[in-house]
Amino acid sequence: MKYAFYPGCVSRGGCPELYPSAVKVSAKLGIELEEMKDVACTGAGVLPQDISDPINARTFAKAEQLGLPIMTICSTCQGVMAQANYRLTSEPEYRAKINREYLADEGLEYKGTTEVKHLLWILFEDYGLDRLKSQIQRPLKGLRVSPFYGCFLRRPPEAITPTKELSRRKNYLDELIEILGAELADISGKGKCCGFPILSANEENSLAMAAKHTGEAKEKGADCMVTPCPLCHLNLDGNQPRAEAQEGKEIGLPILHLPQFLGLALGFEPGEMSLKRHIVSTQTVESKVSMLA
Amino acid sequence: MQITFKVYRKDPEKDGKPGRSNYSVELDEEATVLDGLLKIRDEMDDTLAFRASCARGYCGECTMRVNYKACFACTAKVSAFTKKSPEILLDPLRNIPVIKDLVFDWDAFMWNKITAVKPWLEPDESSTNGENLLPDSTMADLRKVMSCYYCGLCDEGCTVLPVDFDFLGPAALTKAYRFVFDPRDKAGRERLKIAEKPKGIWDCVHCFEASEHCPRGIAPTERIISIRDKAFKVGITNEKVARHHTSFAASVKESGWLDEGRLALESEGLTNIKGLMKLLPTAARAMARGKAPIPYLHPKRPGAEQIKKIFEKGEREKK
Repeated sequence: MKYAFYPGCVSRGGCPELYPSAVKVSAKLGIELEEMKDVACTGAGVLPQDISDPINARTFAKAEQLGLPIMTICSTCQGVMAQANYRLTSEPEYRAKINREYLADEGLEYKGTTEVKHLLWILFEDYGLDRLKSQIQRPLKGLRVSPFYGCFLRRPPEAITPTKELSRRKNYLDELIEILGAELADISGKGKCCGFPILSANEENSLAMAAKHTGEAKEKGADCMVTPCPLCHLNLDGNQPRAEAQEGKEIGLPILHLPQFLGLALGFEPGEMSLKRHIVSTQTVESKVSMLA
Repeated sequence: MQITFKVYRKDPEKDGKPGRSNYSVELDEEATVLDGLLKIRDEMDDTLAFRASCARGYCGECTMRVNYKACFACTAKVSAFTKKSPEILLDPLRNIPVIKDLVFDWDAFMWNKITAVKPWLEPDESSTNGENLLPDSTMADLRKVMSCYYCGLCDEGCTVLPVDFDFLGPAALTKAYRFVFDPRDKAGRERLKIAEKPKGIWDCVHCFEASEHCPRGIAPTERIISIRDKAFKVGITNEKVARHHTSFAASVKESGWLDEGRLALESEGLTNIKGLMKLLPTAARAMARGKAPIPYLHPKRPGAEQIKKIFEKGEREKK
C-alpha cells in the first residue's frame, strides 16, 4: 500500500507532534508514504475558490503523475481538497479550463483520477479492519475516549459521503475507538465545529465552542478526546486554557491526534508519540496506558 | 396504532415553567405528527399551541423537533418515529425563545435578521426603460435561492447560533446572497458591508450543517462562502478579518505554505500592542512545549514560484 503523503501545514507548524506520529504509525502499519514536497497549502477554506481550486488541481495532477492516491492527516485539508476534487471531477469543462489556464504553463494536466483520503478513511476502506486488529499490541482497555471529527470529515455530503455505503464515514472514529479496545464516551458535539475557523473573527464564540465540546466530554467521563484534525487540536488543546478562563470552568481534557491514539494501541510509548508537546497535560492518559501491557 | 405524544409545554400566563403533557392518541399507519397534534387539539386539549398552515411540506410553519430531530410535523410520518417505542417527544426548535408550547419567536429567530440584510432589490433605474429582464441562465441560480420557504431548518442546524443567538445565521445570509449576486442591484458594495458586519458572514464557521439541514438543496453554507469569496476579491471591509486573510494569502503566495506564527501576529496587527500582548500567554505555553512556530523564518516550498504564478493569475482574473 502506497500513498502520496500530503502532511499539511499545521502538522509541521502549530502541531509538530502530529507529523512524526503519523509517519511512525504508517511505517508500523506497513503503509508506504511518498511525501509531496512541491505542493501548496489547500487554502484551508480561507483562500477563495478561484485561487484554491487551481492550486489543489496542481496537487492532484502531481499525485496523478506519481500514480498514487493522496493521504491526508487533517480534516480541513481533506475537506477542502475533497470539495475541490468534487468540482474538478464532476465538471469536466471546469477542469479543462483550470488545466488550460493554470496548469499547462508547467506542463501539467489533471485528468481527474486522483483519490484523496484521510488516514482514518484509509484504515477502514483500504487497509481493512481485520488487518488493523491483528496489529493491535496494546488494547486500550479502560480508557474512556470521546470522538471529535472536524466538520470537513463529515460534510458536505456530495464530496464526503457521496454514497450510502460511504455515509459510514460519519461513524469511523466512534468505531475505531472501540476497535482499539477503548471505551466510547459519546458526545453530541462530535460532528460540530471546534470554533477554530472564527478564532480571528470572533474569539469569544470560538472559545465558547471549544469549552462546550471539551466540557461535554469531561461530563461524560472521558479521559481524553481524539481528533483527526490538527486545526481542531489547536483550538481544543492549544486554546483550552483560554476557553476555561473565558467560561469560568476547569476542564483539563487531554486531546490526542488520531495517529497518536492509534500509535498507543500499536504499542508505541507515549513519549514516542510526543504527548509531552501538548498544552493540556496528558498525564492521566499516560498513567492509564502505562498500566496496560 | 396507539401513540403517546409527550409534548413540550410552557404557558407564560401561568407559571411560565417548561414541562410536558402526555396525550395518548389512536392514529392510522399513514398519519403524520401534525395529524396527531390536530387530533389532540380538536378532541383532547384546546389549550395546546402549535403552528401549522399548508399541511403539505411547503410553508415551513410547523417546523419543530420530533424525537429531537428537527423536521416538519406535516411531513413527518408517525410510523417513522415509533419503530422502537410508541412514544413521540415533541419540542420547539433549539436555542429559541418560546412564546407558548411549540410556538416560538420567529421574529427573534429569523425575521429580524432577514430584515437586517435589506431584503429588497435596489434596481439601477438609469440602465432600464421600465423593465430590467435577466437571461434565464442568470436567473436560474437566484431562483434556486428564492425557492427558500423560510422553514428555519438551516438556522436550527447552525453550529454558531447555539453559542451566539445574535449571529445573523444561514437563512438571513442566504437572503443576502440573493441580492449580492443579482446583477440588477445597485447597492453592491453597501450590501457586502452589511453582510460583513460583526455577527455576519465572517462569524460563520462554514461547517456545512446548514446545507445538510436545508430541505430544498439551496446550500446556504456555499452561499455564505460565495459572499466571502466576493468580499475577498473586492476588498474585505471587516478590519480584523482583512488582516487575517491578507496575511494568510501573502504567506501562501510567497512560500507555498502557511506561516502560522506570522498569521497570528499579523491577524492582531503589528502595531496593535494590546492585541499582541494577548498572544503572549498562548505563545509562552507553546514555547514551553517546544512548538511555537517561529514567524517569518519560513522556508519556501519547492514549487513556490509556480504557486505564486497561479496566485497572480487568479488575482488578475478577479479584476
